[in-house]
Amino acid sequence: MLTYLGAIFLQQGDTTRFDLMKQAAVNPDLSKFLVIGALLFIIGVAGVLTRRNIIVIFMSIELILNAANLNFIAFSRYLSAMGNVNAVAGQIFAVFVIVVAAAEAAIGLGIVIALYRNKETIWVDEIDLLKW
Amino acid sequence: MTLSGYEALFFWIFGLAAIFAGLLTVMARNAVHSALFLISSLISVAALFILARAEFIAGVQILVYVGGVMVLFLFVIMLVNVGAEERGSEEIFNNQRQVTASLIFCLLLVGGMLYSINTGYRGLQARYPATQEAVAAQETIRDEAHAPSATGSSRITKDTESVGSSLYRYASLPFEIASILLLVAIIGSVMLARTLKQEASADDVAPENAD
Repeated sequence: MLTYLGAIFLQQGDTTRFDLMKQAAVNPDLSKFLVIGALLFIIGVAGVLTRRNIIVIFMSIELILNAANLNFIAFSRYLSAMGNVNAVAGQIFAVFVIVVAAAEAAIGLGIVIALYRNKETIWVDEIDLLKW
Repeated sequence: MTLSGYEALFFWIFGLAAIFAGLLTVMARNAVHSALFLISSLISVAALFILARAEFIAGVQILVYVGGVMVLFLFVIMLVNVGAEERGSEEIFNNQRQVTASLIFCLLLVGGMLYSINTGYRGLQARYPATQEAVAAQETIRDEAHAPSATGSSRITKDTESVGSSLYRYASLPFEIASILLLVAIIGSVMLARTLKQEASADDVAPENAD
């Protein structure tokens, strides 16, 4: 067991995997941005799936959109470092994501207010009008 | 593209702050606390944008998200009554089975994503075989072309200029479509949020006959 773990942990050659990890932590690159984006996305998905409060569900959706924005910006930075002249397209797409998020928040919160006025609840499991 | 020195330090600080604030957003009992944690998460992500040299998007994020959307959220939270949640008499999560199933789903998803980021990034590095030193040297040459700032400690970025000119040159049609989308959102939210009485007065019905 220990030799198996050691074989995973220690690479062939003179650099160990621990050294590679330390080097990656000291010099974070594109993949670290993507990891943070993925974790934010998962947190948002978990919030949408588990919370009962419809306003917190909306906030989780904002978290998901923001994670997508982070990926756009990170790839834009990566491609511009690689000398790609069209790399600014990622930033432009992020602007449009922010626009759509603002529109979605305005409409969604309007729906929440209308729903609260009619049903007197913000718990999503009590809003079951369409459930047969 | 690798960060180094203080940039790397601030990357980890703001990245971890964004993730922790996101977690607290999902787990906070009070919806106002959720909104405040979401604001700190958004500001941390804006700092990550600055580290990725997207200063314009970082400014837009703080102005639009934190200054506009989150204030709207706070207003709506205060319009609807959330007293039961704060007192702890209401369960904030769905029932046990649903939470367990969705957390298992999320764990599978995050495992798959981390695996695919790992392998995909290796493929990307194989596709762009330039060494880090060569990329950094080219970047330094591109940075040298920018004018130095007044203090001389850094260089003036052209990020806003390039985003603006590309937005109007190459993305002008989506830009116009986005303006129509915002108009539709304004009108739609006014239509959705008005009361029965306001609706009746818009149709020239006397308020006492509204029901």
